[in-house]
Amino acid sequence: MKSNNAKEKIFKIFVYVALITLAITIIIPILWVFMASLRDNSEFYGNPWALPKSLHWENFVEAWTTARMGEFMLNSILTTAMALVMLLIIALPAAYCLSRFKFRGKKFLNTMFMAGLFINVNYIVVPIFLMFVDADKFLKSMGLARFFLNNIFVLALVYASTALPFTIYLLSGYFVSLPVAYEEAAYVDGAGYFRTMVQIIFPMAKPSIITIILFNFLSFWNEYIIAMTMLSDPKGPKTLPVGLMNLMKAQNAAAEYGRMYAGLVLVMLPTLILYICVQKKLTQGMTLGGLKG
Amino acid sequence: MDKQKGRGKFVFFCVAPAVILFTIFMVIPTFNIFKMSLYKWGGYSNNKTFIGFENFRKLFNDQKFLGAFQNTILMIVIVTIVTFAFALVFAAILQREKIKGQNFFRIIFYIPNILSVVVISAIFSAIYDANNGMLNSIVNLFRNANEPIYWLGDQKIVIYAIIGAMIWQAIGYYMVMYMASMAAVPESLYESANLEGASRLTQFFQITIPLIWTNIRTTLTFFIISSINLSFLFVKAMTGGGPDGASEVFLSYMYKQAYTNSSYGYGMAIGVLVFLFSFALSAIINAVTKREVIEL
Amino acid sequence: MRKFLSVILAMTLVLTSFAGCGKTETNISTNTETSTSTSTSENTDKPAPAGKITVAALESAYGVEAWKEVAAAYTKQTGVEVNLITDKNIEDVIGANMKAGEYPDVVHLATGRPAALTETMIKDNALTDLTDMLSMTVPGETKKVSEKIAKGFTESSLTNPYSDGKTYLAPMFYGPCGLFYNQGLFEEKGWTVPTTWDEMWALGDKAKAENIALFTYPTAGYFDAFFYALVYSVGGADFFDKVTNYAEGIWDTSEGKQVIDIIAKLASYTEKSVPSNANNDNYLKNQQLVLDNKALFMPNGTWVVGEMGKAPRTDGFKWGLTALPAVKQGGDRYSFTWFEQIWIPAAAENKEAAKNFIAYLYSDEAAKIFAKEREGSQPAIQPIIGLADSLEGDNKLFYSIYDNGAKAALGGFAATDPVEGVSIAEATFEAVNSLVSGDKTAEDYKAGIVKASDALRPHIKK
Repeated sequence: MKSNNAKEKIFKIFVYVALITLAITIIIPILWVFMASLRDNSEFYGNPWALPKSLHWENFVEAWTTARMGEFMLNSILTTAMALVMLLIIALPAAYCLSRFKFRGKKFLNTMFMAGLFINVNYIVVPIFLMFVDADKFLKSMGLARFFLNNIFVLALVYASTALPFTIYLLSGYFVSLPVAYEEAAYVDGAGYFRTMVQIIFPMAKPSIITIILFNFLSFWNEYIIAMTMLSDPKGPKTLPVGLMNLMKAQNAAAEYGRMYAGLVLVMLPTLILYICVQKKLTQGMTLGGLKG
Repeated sequence: MDKQKGRGKFVFFCVAPAVILFTIFMVIPTFNIFKMSLYKWGGYSNNKTFIGFENFRKLFNDQKFLGAFQNTILMIVIVTIVTFAFALVFAAILQREKIKGQNFFRIIFYIPNILSVVVISAIFSAIYDANNGMLNSIVNLFRNANEPIYWLGDQKIVIYAIIGAMIWQAIGYYMVMYMASMAAVPESLYESANLEGASRLTQFFQITIPLIWTNIRTTLTFFIISSINLSFLFVKAMTGGGPDGASEVFLSYMYKQAYTNSSYGYGMAIGVLVFLFSFALSAIINAVTKREVIEL
Repeated sequence: MRKFLSVILAMTLVLTSFAGCGKTETNISTNTETSTSTSTSENTDKPAPAGKITVAALESAYGVEAWKEVAAAYTKQTGVEVNLITDKNIEDVIGANMKAGEYPDVVHLATGRPAALTETMIKDNALTDLTDMLSMTVPGETKKVSEKIAKGFTESSLTNPYSDGKTYLAPMFYGPCGLFYNQGLFEEKGWTVPTTWDEMWALGDKAKAENIALFTYPTAGYFDAFFYALVYSVGGADFFDKVTNYAEGIWDTSEGKQVIDIIAKLASYTEKSVPSNANNDNYLKNQQLVLDNKALFMPNGTWVVGEMGKAPRTDGFKWGLTALPAVKQGGDRYSFTWFEQIWIPAAAENKEAAKNFIAYLYSDEAAKIFAKEREGSQPAIQPIIGLADSLEGDNKLFYSIYDNGAKAALGGFAATDPVEGVSIAEATFEAVNSLVSGDKTAEDYKAGIVKASDALRPHIKK
């Protein structure tokens, strides 16, 4: 088997070179963003790869204060958390039934959710918005307070709903791969459908659930277009990516680059931290068949 | 009989909330998009005129739309092929070979996927900068010319520059996916292949690929969906469709028409085509790649 | 009787909102309801101010402080509360609500923005006629609005988009546009600023020998001001009207050819990396070329000084501004006068109050607030007769461009009904990127403009 040691060695060297090259092309740009967030404004007009002359930590302080980052951070956390909770409560049972039970219309529903994967939020955002406007007008005509727009709970609901096709798709792929024996044993023990699902099946799906939490966390946390449209009241709540716009340059005005990059880093950090925390589970979640389709 | 009834109830209560939300927030809005694509409407005023399929007829004579169409297809094809190849090879290496720091590489490679597009486009603007960019300083070591390469300014190159950024972002994601399904391939298969003296390549093509085929097919659909979506985000952040429309893609052109050329109905017609196109393309690819599933 | 009632109502509302100051949901909704009833009794000579108006203004280089102060001063004078919305992307903030039928009463947003909201409103006939506003008396003063606005500002297609003599957009903050350069470099090299295009090309060759490009531009969109001034200087007002009304065959005339030739030649003298950065995220790099002495001229507006305020520059750098060179010795030289617009959506609820507010913006009081120097923002100059005389610093130099013989060019392409897939701005301005990169020849460029003009001609707003 080890007939050709030299060949083996060359192969190994080649592999390491390839791996390290790719790793470098990822690490350096990331470091560059952190570096950029500590630069002085005047340094942004020259060579982008020069090291900062001195470290301007005040960029972070300014970003935090001018962009109302504290308040927006809380909004973003709330929105993302609510959306994730709703998504799990709704998608888990649905995916479970759609993949493991036989019932009339099952095929139709599966195809519908599958087709949902191809709907792009970039074009349905306006119709959703107009729907809320009508709903709010109706509430107003009934003498009630407006509810749908400028409400982070509703925003979270929209996030959860638009994430359904992808989430159900991923979860179904996992549920399908489980042997029926698990449920049969539970039924024999006298457990009902609900108990079987919650106590037997879901715990087994934990790695998959963590995977979908991470995927959806990333997309909810960075989402901009829906948030911008649904939270249009200038005095109302905003999420971080929308707030980040406050740090962008105004038309024809001088740019505050340092602040802007500091803001970008502030938005990026929570995602990096979460990823580092769950990265082990992430591969596991997929390993257990979450994506076998 | 009673049990049957309980089962029906259970399924209903499990599925109904998802179906209701999906209908309200995705099916109805999509239906509205289809409806709007048959109207001439600026976007703000009250005069909507029904014009049938006029918007679609115009689309097929719109050179800029056809250019955006071409760009999008080019992106889907190249991003898919290159990302697929790299992700698969790296996954096989990290999964099958004894590599020091295997975990480290796995974690690092996934990071581009968690960054927001704004950050990525800032990074790549600095990399592609004609005069001070990282790429040109590297390329100039091997190339003797006074003219730098205008990665984002040359209309023949710009689309590939954006493709480069998209690939960079996507490799890790698909790699982790492939690694996951490769881990499920029983070790015994490789052991017996080793005994028979099969080479790495043979093992890769005869064992690994056939056994993760279902997963590969799934990711092909992902490639189509995400290429269409991400190409828009990247183009918007890096070039704005420029120079002179050279990097325009489906959704960026849709935005331009719907929101800045007062042609909302026309923009929505593009939206409809994007939906139908991506759906049809996935269906075709799904049919073409259908193989006998190898069950173990 | 009904009118009387609504005035009483409005007054009580003003009082209550003063007393409360808190902006609760219910307060807002009652406000809108009453104001609807006021605006139904449309009366042109006597504006009946509602209790509250909503003003949306773009946050640009002029900052938001000035707007806040003007709003406060207006409230103090008239008692009308101003609900001010400012944002760097004001289109995103108000656009969605406008789609849903909720309009601000006054919108300060110029044409030429990437989102083109103002252009969309024009194309959709969704603006209120402001002609009667011009004959209103400026609140707190005795003069009429039309007597205060400088000549020419309410006659171009930028304010009267449908060429029917009616004003739909009121002119705001103006400034000269032209070619900006580094005076210091010209002094150091002993070069003179060219007055004709021939001198310009000669200078271009001289600069090339020293590795300096003749020309740069921030984004191709900046060619609008340049293009209009060029069209004026080549063929005068008559030619300008024909070009901007997409006249048939205009590009085959000798003037038309001359315009194309000059732009194409200029493109060949342009720094080659410019198209790479000619987008909204990277255009400062193109402007930086002038500060680094890598390019001589760029088309720009007075805001560039503030915009590049923090950018590093070569020693001895000093801003200079010149009008476009003349086509021949002794010919007319033009500088485009850039100004912003303010308008009232046709669907606004408090139109009369909104007109009163706009009229107030031309008062000496408001103009003074806008023109005040503030930390971090630039003074904004209202197009009021005599105001430019009181300027200081760089601005004094810039605004004196018209005193030094340059003529003012005003106007733009005529508004059309929306034509799917066709944009004259893309054909005329964006395409310059292709000229520079060599992807289009002068012939292609011309063909593109002709094609877009042909497509738009039948759809001009009448």
